[in-house]
Amino acid sequence: MAEIYKLIHPVKYFNDYISRNVRPDGRQFHEHRNIKLNVNSIKASEASGVVKCGNTTVICGIKLELATPKAEEPDSGFLVTNVELLPLCSSKFRPGPPSDYAQVVSNIVTDIVMNSECINLKDLCIVYDKLAWVLYCDIVCIDNDGGLIDACVMALISSLKTLTLPNVTYDPETEDIKVDITKRSPLKVNGLPVATSFAIFPFFEKSILLTDPSAYEEDMCGGNGANLIVCWNKGFLCGTQKFGGSTLSMEDEKQALKIAKQRTKLVEKLIETCIDNESK
Amino acid sequence: MPLDFRRFNGPEDSVSYTRFTQDFLKSYDELHNELINKSNLRKDGRALDEARSMFARTDMISQAKGSAYVELKKTKVVCSVFDPREIPHQNEFSQLGQIFCEVKFAPFSCSRQRRPAAPDAEDKSLSVALRQALEPAVCRHLFPNYQIDVFVYIIEHDGACLAAAINAAGLALADAAVPMYDIITASSIAIIGDKMFVDPTEEEEHVAMISPDSENVNHGIITMSMLSELKQVSDFIQIGSMDTDCVIKAMDILEKECAKLIPNIQQVLVMNVVQNIEQQKKLEEEAKEREAALNAKLEEWKTLLNAG
Amino acid sequence: MGVEVDTKEFKLKPMKCEFNFLSKSDGSAILSQGETVTLVSVNGPLDIKMQSQSIEKSTLEVLFCTKGGKPSVADRYKESIIKQTCETAILGSLYPRSGITVTIQELEDYGGLLSCALNCTCLALLNSGLAMRFVFAAVSCAVDELGNIVLEPTQEQATSARALLNFVFESRNKNLLTGFSEGSYSESAYEEALERCRAASDLVFTFYRDIISKYSNVI
Repeated sequence: MAEIYKLIHPVKYFNDYISRNVRPDGRQFHEHRNIKLNVNSIKASEASGVVKCGNTTVICGIKLELATPKAEEPDSGFLVTNVELLPLCSSKFRPGPPSDYAQVVSNIVTDIVMNSECINLKDLCIVYDKLAWVLYCDIVCIDNDGGLIDACVMALISSLKTLTLPNVTYDPETEDIKVDITKRSPLKVNGLPVATSFAIFPFFEKSILLTDPSAYEEDMCGGNGANLIVCWNKGFLCGTQKFGGSTLSMEDEKQALKIAKQRTKLVEKLIETCIDNESK
Repeated sequence: MPLDFRRFNGPEDSVSYTRFTQDFLKSYDELHNELINKSNLRKDGRALDEARSMFARTDMISQAKGSAYVELKKTKVVCSVFDPREIPHQNEFSQLGQIFCEVKFAPFSCSRQRRPAAPDAEDKSLSVALRQALEPAVCRHLFPNYQIDVFVYIIEHDGACLAAAINAAGLALADAAVPMYDIITASSIAIIGDKMFVDPTEEEEHVAMISPDSENVNHGIITMSMLSELKQVSDFIQIGSMDTDCVIKAMDILEKECAKLIPNIQQVLVMNVVQNIEQQKKLEEEAKEREAALNAKLEEWKTLLNAG
Repeated sequence: MGVEVDTKEFKLKPMKCEFNFLSKSDGSAILSQGETVTLVSVNGPLDIKMQSQSIEKSTLEVLFCTKGGKPSVADRYKESIIKQTCETAILGSLYPRSGITVTIQELEDYGGLLSCALNCTCLALLNSGLAMRFVFAAVSCAVDELGNIVLEPTQEQATSARALLNFVFESRNKNLLTGFSEGSYSESAYEEALERCRAASDLVFTFYRDIISKYSNVI
């Protein structure tokens, strides 16, 4: 019965729940879903992280390559982050090159990491103007049930935190490169950016913030994906994005920042515990 | 290669650092001899004819109609199946339903090098192989002019990935309640000289694919998928060169291996059904509760309306 | 409104706008904010493919063309921002089963390109006569090393700044419609920037009104 009702009257179905102060999956408005994190489970990559936020599943794997630095920035390495939304993660995505939405997600995730300045690209340079590391961070979504950016950032950061770079010796005369994989040094990660998504649902004259929305909730609130993404890193904001959905008043904005701050603390703790356990 | 505008690209001259490690330049003999130790065991401690234990589960992906995850030690494969949909841009009516398969490797799935993001020849050949394997297993006459999408993603590749993909796709199709004739299972074998490696790892596959210097040496990989109950082979793929006796021998082994997987798959499927029934019960109970609450709300409104 | 700010002390970059710059499109506007110039053309409601039709509302398509002409991931992001902003502003439910195309051409970029593009889009939409819920105004500001907020930064200010914040407000309640940022900044800086931009958005709305009245007189 409920399933039929959902199909025939999608808006009313959702409104009925909201008017009873509960979300269709039984959560409170500001409750986020359970998060599961696993690091270094993919041995074929240099570092990896698997994140599950509710149903949303995201895998990040890092591959290392060597290249000559750009002529404009001879002292920096490269960090290449791409998000792939596979056709298998949702019926919305078709096989083929990345859709516009996938490109937007890639761009937001890259921006968050770059803006938080958690990786100093200068650390990735091995020899000035000659040799630098290229970090290919590929994030793939296996199951998309909303809150995609949160999961992507979490997977990426936890993989970066576990990444170790092998020792490289470069002979400037012969241009000979030798890599010693037995000696590895960890990559410096400065801070821990965490993103929190919200959907904003227009309910009569006010708007209602839904923390960590599911794919269904994101659809109901309009727009493409989450409406508001707040990203904290070490007590600083490193990205607030608001697109589509209902408009946002000042009070809601403050509340969103507060909720995001609390969730950030929790996620930071989760990532640190997970990495500690792994290294033991 | 043209530059991909839809992704962030790294520098063009970047190469994997493994090129500069000492392990990279190993001769064929070295690689060959490394595979088996003195007590005739493989690197991971298995005997030659011992397959890896398979872990499988269904219901991985919430958004898909049916999904499955298969793990053979390090090889990890996930598959999802979507509702049948009308074939787009179709001119003729097709009597049989079609199966659209796409196999994709994760960019970080292979330990040797980073996979390019765009599908390459290997991805495409695996997609075709998977489709050919699944077509005889599915009752395609039941959904004419429709197509079922089967997407397989290889998260980590450590050999026998086509076999794992077929197993996963079979499970996912069953989970999606697509009518099938039989449980489909697949297994693969790598042949190097006179030795046969059942359920090979990526290293073993790699050596099997290199042509040895001396001629007339059997080498290659065979993957075979079976409908065991019907005693039918649904797909047989052989890469490399080997003599007939060798192929016949390999087929016998593969047939047994495929049959061995059946109880495992059956168990997963039964568990899936049991779980679904339990879930359904739970949902029904919850729905009743919700309906009661909604009815109460309705009554409330009615009284409000009547009151004026 | 929490903080009372006097709008008179604000100065935005000088804005110049011309409507109907393109003769063939349903609505077009060219806008310069300081030295940054964008040209927007709006076409619609028009006939589109069956596949992309929606029975509930019009299908919006936004194209962002850079000066160089090469597409990139960052352009898709800009398109997405403009698209989602317009989608909320346009009363799409009045034009079901039809399409609206917005094309933005970058002409000169001396900082604040995206906010200029957004303002220009709004003007072009007004010019095209499509029904809208509200008009919107984009204002950008920079947070410098000391935490001071600079409205509508020049290009030098923008490159040396710690963060760049962009906000789009709707005209009715001055609520936040779209927001995006670069760099990292403190919470208090964010709130101050938001309030100042909100106050400054009045200037943009006044500018819209002037332009519209100027062109209405001609008709």
